Amino acid sequence: MTGLYLKILSPEIIVALTGALILIADLFDPAASGRKTAAGSTAGEADGAAGRTDGSADGNARPAPRSALAWLGVAGLAVAAVAVALLHKYADSYSSVRICFGSRLGPCPLNATFLDGALVLDEFAVYLKYVFLAVGALALLLSVNALPRFTRHTAEYYALVIWCTAGNMLLASAGELFTAFLALQLSSLPLIVLIAFAKRDPRSTEAAMKYLLLVLVATAVMLYGITLIYGSLGTSTIAEIGNMLAEKAASHEPLSAALTIGFLMFLAGFAFKATAFPFHWWAPDVYSGAPSPVTAFLSVGSKFAGFALVMRIAAAAFFASHASADWSLIFGILAAASMIFGNLGAIKQTNIKRMLAYSGIAQAGYLLVGIAAASTGGTSATLFYIVAYGLANLLAFSVVIALINTRKSAEISDYAGMSRHSPLAAFCLTVALLSLGGLPMMAGFMAKFYVFLSAAESGLIWLVVIGVINSVIAIYYYLQVVWQIYVAEGSDSQVCVGRPDAVAMALCAVGVFAIGLFPEPALRAAERAALALFSWW
Amino acid sequence: MGWVLASTIIIPLLGSAVIALIPEAGSRFARTLALIFSALTFGASTVLWVQFGRGVPGMQFELIAEWVPALGTSIHLGVDGISMPMVFLTGLLSLLAVIASGSIKHRVKRYFALLLLLEASLMGVFVSLDLILFYVFWEVVLIPMFFLISVWGGPNRQYASVKFFVYTMAGSLAMLGGFIALFLHSGTFDLAVLATIAPSIGPALQTGIFLAIAFGLAIKVPMFPFHTWLPDAHVEAPTAVSVLLAGVLLKMGSYGFVRFGPQMLPSGFLAIAPVIAVLAVISIIYGAAVALKQSDLKKLVAYSSVSHMGYVMLGIAAGTSTGLTGANVQMFSHGLIAGMAFLLVGCFYERAHTREISAFGGTVKIAPVLSGALVLMAFASLGLPGGSGFIGEFMILVGSFESFPVPTILAAAAVALTAGYLLWMLRRVVFGPLNPKRKTMPDMTHTEATSIFPLAAAVVVIGVLPSTLVGVIQASAVQIAALLGR
Repeated sequence: MTGLYLKILSPEIIVALTGALILIADLFDPAASGRKTAAGSTAGEADGAAGRTDGSADGNARPAPRSALAWLGVAGLAVAAVAVALLHKYADSYSSVRICFGSRLGPCPLNATFLDGALVLDEFAVYLKYVFLAVGALALLLSVNALPRFTRHTAEYYALVIWCTAGNMLLASAGELFTAFLALQLSSLPLIVLIAFAKRDPRSTEAAMKYLLLVLVATAVMLYGITLIYGSLGTSTIAEIGNMLAEKAASHEPLSAALTIGFLMFLAGFAFKATAFPFHWWAPDVYSGAPSPVTAFLSVGSKFAGFALVMRIAAAAFFASHASADWSLIFGILAAASMIFGNLGAIKQTNIKRMLAYSGIAQAGYLLVGIAAASTGGTSATLFYIVAYGLANLLAFSVVIALINTRKSAEISDYAGMSRHSPLAAFCLTVALLSLGGLPMMAGFMAKFYVFLSAAESGLIWLVVIGVINSVIAIYYYLQVVWQIYVAEGSDSQVCVGRPDAVAMALCAVGVFAIGLFPEPALRAAERAALALFSWW
Repeated sequence: MGWVLASTIIIPLLGSAVIALIPEAGSRFARTLALIFSALTFGASTVLWVQFGRGVPGMQFELIAEWVPALGTSIHLGVDGISMPMVFLTGLLSLLAVIASGSIKHRVKRYFALLLLLEASLMGVFVSLDLILFYVFWEVVLIPMFFLISVWGGPNRQYASVKFFVYTMAGSLAMLGGFIALFLHSGTFDLAVLATIAPSIGPALQTGIFLAIAFGLAIKVPMFPFHTWLPDAHVEAPTAVSVLLAGVLLKMGSYGFVRFGPQMLPSGFLAIAPVIAVLAVISIIYGAAVALKQSDLKKLVAYSSVSHMGYVMLGIAAGTSTGLTGANVQMFSHGLIAGMAFLLVGCFYERAHTREISAFGGTVKIAPVLSGALVLMAFASLGLPGGSGFIGEFMILVGSFESFPVPTILAAAAVALTAGYLLWMLRRVVFGPLNPKRKTMPDMTHTEATSIFPLAAAVVVIGVLPSTLVGVIQASAVQIAALLGR
């Protein structure tokens, strides 16, 4: 049955091979050697570090192979998306297909142990795989024009982004804790290198160092948590854990302290990836230190990986236990604290990358509100929010990256007068910020509305109130940037947006409006994905 | 006819898109295009006004289409006697606002695109019969309004526009919370269905839900003590935007009170009505008293809006058919009078580049038509018989006496204050010795006359023949009052 594993894993395999293919293509690129020496003289500059000469030169005379490699990556991800679409029928025919490393396709036996049920292919996994593929493709497009500013190792950069995407996708399918841990590492380790990619910029290295230390601590804590869970229950399969917790609930047997601590430690790994309270402190420093396209990738791909990790175990295990209300409360507290810390932190920021980092912490809070609802509706709302937030945040970053490419600056005051010299980019950034702020017509409103609706349905009125108050705080700092763009007087030099950036920008902008005005298809997909997670109900 | 109703949203939206997409070189056509699209919209709202079945209490011209069934929300449009005058008012004032925007010289294209987007969203608020659709339009109003104030506004516009946005957003999110609560207890966002289910919700819960919704509405009206954003926004906003702000935006709040209170949450409404009545009277007296001491003409008109909207709220709180009819007449009438007032203030400002009352004086001697229009506006505003203001205020006072005698007496007494600040303003601006600085003040131009005279004519027509307006409103008002048992 090895063929079946290959089949189920084919999207991830295609993605991983795409990364390798890019490296190989780079070797055979006749222009590569010449290009590297030419670009070498300007390499090593980081955001805001040096003059803007190469940025504008890049806009005019962009060597073809560099963007060709990115397009090759996008094509590979598209092929993987087709593979996911073909596999979708498995997710359709069985509400939840688990692959057991034992022998067969089909529901795992109840006594499945260790690696059995390691991979799950259901609507939830399929939904998130599409999301991760889209995020990866957009991140590649947004990198093309930014790369020459800080590196000449273009192919390696693309390959790392793609491998990180493979890790994210694997995480969406992980039905077992050690597999999840492995996938999490695959998703985190390339990021360390990516964050440090501007190797001559000390801030990039510093950010990577911080990220490295924190990722080690968080994953170590998480691994310890997993061993405690495994030690207490004798299984690491999420479905099995769910069954056991449900049995305990039926016999009114309390959870052991070790198990509870294990679960809490497991959450640490999640909170770190998702930049949720209390492991959110790294985000502003790392986001502002990392090269901007990496920040863009980090702020969506990595965050969603955290949610992919936690949603399955939350739905299948936490909420199956009789302590479901307690878990809901824990997620609620994490949500509230993330929203409050994120929004209050964002208000006084003058650097847009830092502002978006804090705003991302707050957005993780809104995403958690849906999980705290502990219902199909809530999970579906979070899944829908992921798409809405991803589109809006990448749209915002596409403009931020374009401005950094042109002017090497990420200061909010540098957006002054943008509407006059670059009306389209200004419009896109405004749409993105208003969508993040939750204004109607844009995707953000529908997402926030759905999240609040499902939380209220689950009786979490206090959380809705906190969310609503936070939305008001958030709109204040988003408006400050909008004010700079449209009203304040400023520089008149045009922001140059390269073609790949423009493609990414257009896709995100159309997506934000499409989902904001006609959310039905995306809502239905999110609903199906959530139903798959809660199929045990 | 449902599509004619939908066209009042679609035409300006289309116009907004067309104007936004024409190349920068075509900017000089922006105003003409805006004029065409807003005239078409006004035409559509006139058709509706003419075709509207007088004496029919329920919804007319209904249109239902699927939108987001997953969230239980659909596109449901329709008008009754309460919203029909508001649709007509929006059509009229938007057209006049476009005419009055000749002084906008920079970023013309964007200005008119936003103005039409504002019109479309305002129309949407008044014709939506689905809570989420209503909320979407309600919030979209903020976006063009924010830009119109912040880009084309006065020197302190950043503070004013952000304050306006954050203030109203806080209110509307509370309102959204109320809508969600309604949904959880009824399973629908459709107003027509809610009207049959929601009144059976327990009284305590109704009060809670209505408090959340009323908070959002009260900020918009604005009622004391939530009014502080209004004078700031008015002072900074350009003339045409002030016209729509005072003329239509404020009515969104009072319209919401009529729509959501008696029809959906009668017990909650009745429980809070005394509070609304008291706040309304405070708004009336406070607004008038503050207007009395203003030295800035525009601030004076802004505070007079707070005072006049207080009358509207008193009539709504009373919940009698006369009170509700009066409140709706007053909403329409205040839209006309406030629109006229801001247009006139704009005229005076264009001539003197200041709005200080002390900078004028004796203008009737050199600009008789302009001064005459100001006198007419002031008399209509203070409720002199023959103007539309009289009909509205009189019906409100008659209608609310039986419900709230003491507040009504206080509100009636406050008419003296209104007369005070308006007549004093007239004495200092229009009459008295000619201010030497104003020796060369030109009289009203034709463009100004085109925007001001239709309003003056409407004020007089309604004052003399109130049945033209009351006939549209009454049937619905009687039905709503019956729901409250009054």
